[in-house]
Amino acid sequence: MAKTNPEIDVVLNKFDAGGMSRRSFLSKMTALGVTAFVANAVSLSPLGAVKAFAAIGGPEERAWELAKIAAAKATKKSLTLLIPTGSIGNMTPYADKWKNELGITLEFIEEPDEVIHTKGMQEAVAKTGRYDVMMPTAMSYPDWIDSGVIYDLTEWTEKYQPDLFDKEWGVVFPASHHAQLYNGRVAGLLNDGDQITLLCRDDYLKNPDKAKAFADKYGYPLAVPNTWKEYYNLAQFMHDPANKFYGSLEYRSPYYVKWMFMQRLVSKGRLYFDQDMNPTFNSDEGVAALEDMLAMNKYLHPDAFSFTWSSNYNAFGRGEGFMNIVWPSGYKYSKAPSTGPATSGKIAATVMPADTLKDGTKLYAGMFCWGYGYAVSKYSANPELAYAYSQWMTSPTISADAIPYLGGYSDPYRINHMLKPTQRLIDTYTVPYLQTLYDNMVNTVPDFCLPGGFEYQDALDKQVHACMTGAIAPKPALDNAARAFDRITKRIGKEKVKKSWLALTKNLAEPIKKASGADKWS
Amino acid sequence: MHAKKLSFPLAVVMGAALVLVLFPVFWIAMTSIKPPIDWNASPAIWLPSEPTLINFQTLFNPDAIREYGVGGVSQAATKSVIGSVLASVVSTALSVLIGLFSAIGITRYGSGSKATPLIILSGRMFPPAAIAVPFVIIFSNVGLTDSYTGIIAIYVAATLPFSTWMLKSFVEDLPREIEEAAMIDGRSRLAAHLTVTIPLIRGGLFATTLFIFILNWSEFMFALVLSYSNVSTIPVQLAKYVTATAGTLYGVQAALAVLAMVPLILAGYLIQSHLARGMTFGAIKK
Repeated sequence: MAKTNPEIDVVLNKFDAGGMSRRSFLSKMTALGVTAFVANAVSLSPLGAVKAFAAIGGPEERAWELAKIAAAKATKKSLTLLIPTGSIGNMTPYADKWKNELGITLEFIEEPDEVIHTKGMQEAVAKTGRYDVMMPTAMSYPDWIDSGVIYDLTEWTEKYQPDLFDKEWGVVFPASHHAQLYNGRVAGLLNDGDQITLLCRDDYLKNPDKAKAFADKYGYPLAVPNTWKEYYNLAQFMHDPANKFYGSLEYRSPYYVKWMFMQRLVSKGRLYFDQDMNPTFNSDEGVAALEDMLAMNKYLHPDAFSFTWSSNYNAFGRGEGFMNIVWPSGYKYSKAPSTGPATSGKIAATVMPADTLKDGTKLYAGMFCWGYGYAVSKYSANPELAYAYSQWMTSPTISADAIPYLGGYSDPYRINHMLKPTQRLIDTYTVPYLQTLYDNMVNTVPDFCLPGGFEYQDALDKQVHACMTGAIAPKPALDNAARAFDRITKRIGKEKVKKSWLALTKNLAEPIKKASGADKWS
Repeated sequence: MHAKKLSFPLAVVMGAALVLVLFPVFWIAMTSIKPPIDWNASPAIWLPSEPTLINFQTLFNPDAIREYGVGGVSQAATKSVIGSVLASVVSTALSVLIGLFSAIGITRYGSGSKATPLIILSGRMFPPAAIAVPFVIIFSNVGLTDSYTGIIAIYVAATLPFSTWMLKSFVEDLPREIEEAAMIDGRSRLAAHLTVTIPLIRGGLFATTLFIFILNWSEFMFALVLSYSNVSTIPVQLAKYVTATAGTLYGVQAALAVLAMVPLILAGYLIQSHLARGMTFGAIKK
């Protein structure tokens, strides 16, 4: 760990010894250049100031020390970042600090999000060295690592300790593992908590007439749904197409619809493969998941079959539906009066509904889908500086500061973002929603973060979409997808994908592991 | 010749065709002057509730749209407009020039084998996506990625088959005897082509130039794959108008699309008389 400023040590020890008021402590720390968030969190920590400072400020401080050394050595005085269009808002507030204090210019190359993976693969063959830091989703890591375009960050993380798995400040498990590791090695540092939660219109839930009618019809109180069955009932009850108000805005459009299927499948206790890479989604559970989705179709917004993430947000913000399944950015969108004129101040959020297993237990499974992270290019002229930037930006302190800036995709992903939020995080998300994010994230399942992951997803998506449009029945659709999966596995190499799949499933939430039988896989 | 009166069924068909052609243009034009709240409204808003030029302003001043509470636009479109003009004009000029001499060479002098025209066209038989990545490798090795020289080179390579084939058909339809008569009058072969062939096929030349310009102006794949930050074109910039806070910025995209249409409409208008002649030139037989 980097040395602490001796003057800070004195202040920390004095505060621990009770020789300083909290107010004096905060002003002293601020005067010594400690981030306001760190100072505040340290003063409130039950660990004691010395320990808390090491835990909270540590990753930021260590990264900055490394950045100073790497910047001094660097011949190229800039860092170039490949980022998806629309994400820059979380990064630009720090560009001046890097320029003024380190002499490093941050250059952002924005590309449409759907081509980031391709651009990375392209760099593997072109080896231009144009990028230092690349910002893909977790699904890119396997292919990028295997093609040699990005560094395995494990040794750096062992040396500089970004505290990825810390119980108080780390990335929430299991996304901490799914969205950052490939075959147990650190491939990237997460900077975006892309998970799906369920939003409901609170004003409808609080309507006494509706509450009575609902209770009379279904025999239980009107509230946010706990199970997929309750979700269905609510959509049915609230569906009012004559007034252009629909039960839910769940996605049925190409590219998005696979996620709707995947979360329902896993909540029935099924994963995508067994331990020997045989597809398992074309099972009874998979067919039932598709049938549930088909049954929901009549209570969905008519644009559900063409929604993109943004048009979905638009429609919910305009007040065209009772429920929505969205990323945290969708919550922000609906909360803001400018973009959610009909929903601002009227949203109740909850974790993704559970399904009831044969033994009567409820299994909750959300999707941790998409989710950007920082990877370091193998062809970077200053890889250590690029790593330092990644650790610094994703440290518990700087990330808590960066996330609330508008104009970026970054959403909460560390434990402190949700359970020890700053006022700015609270203002952006509200305390109940941050708690919901935490409760949901602990039960999330990953994308296909495997070699060939994009191909698997695409094959599944095409068949699920065809089924939703009535072009094919559930079972043949899933069988088609299963055959496509087998072909992809065969082409990539079964042992290679299997190794990655077993590593991925090793870190599932315990209830999901148990229900799917993955807890017994060797 | 007396003009025939348009029959009712034909008028209906023509009217329907006109609506189909013009509807996207109308929609884009209207969206470009809509405030953000109207961009994606449901039911759709046909005419803007409060017409505004904010989308056009945002193209050159990314912060302008904040007036409507929309943030996150980080790049002005200025560079991409200049980039598109530069890449398209230069590559179109080169493509048509090289295509013209190729066409004359093939038609008048039988240059290459009989298969030469087909071989030239084979360059267009691959989808751009298939050849883009190999070009990345080649261009990286010779230092042409992310440069206008590289973009222009690949635009010329991609459109040359079309310009050659189009101009070949125009030269073929021009009677060879006219050039020979010029040479009997004392002109050299080159002078005969410059003073006789080219003026006589100018309609076809304009039509080809416009067609090649449209191809270059709207090209997306190569510009996307071969650019990092130095090179930018309008089609690539259009794909970048997505923000985390407001989703796709349809109004700003539409404003840039309207701007992108202007040179094509102007060029089409200015050369329309030549265009009609160029498009029908192949019908005039020797």
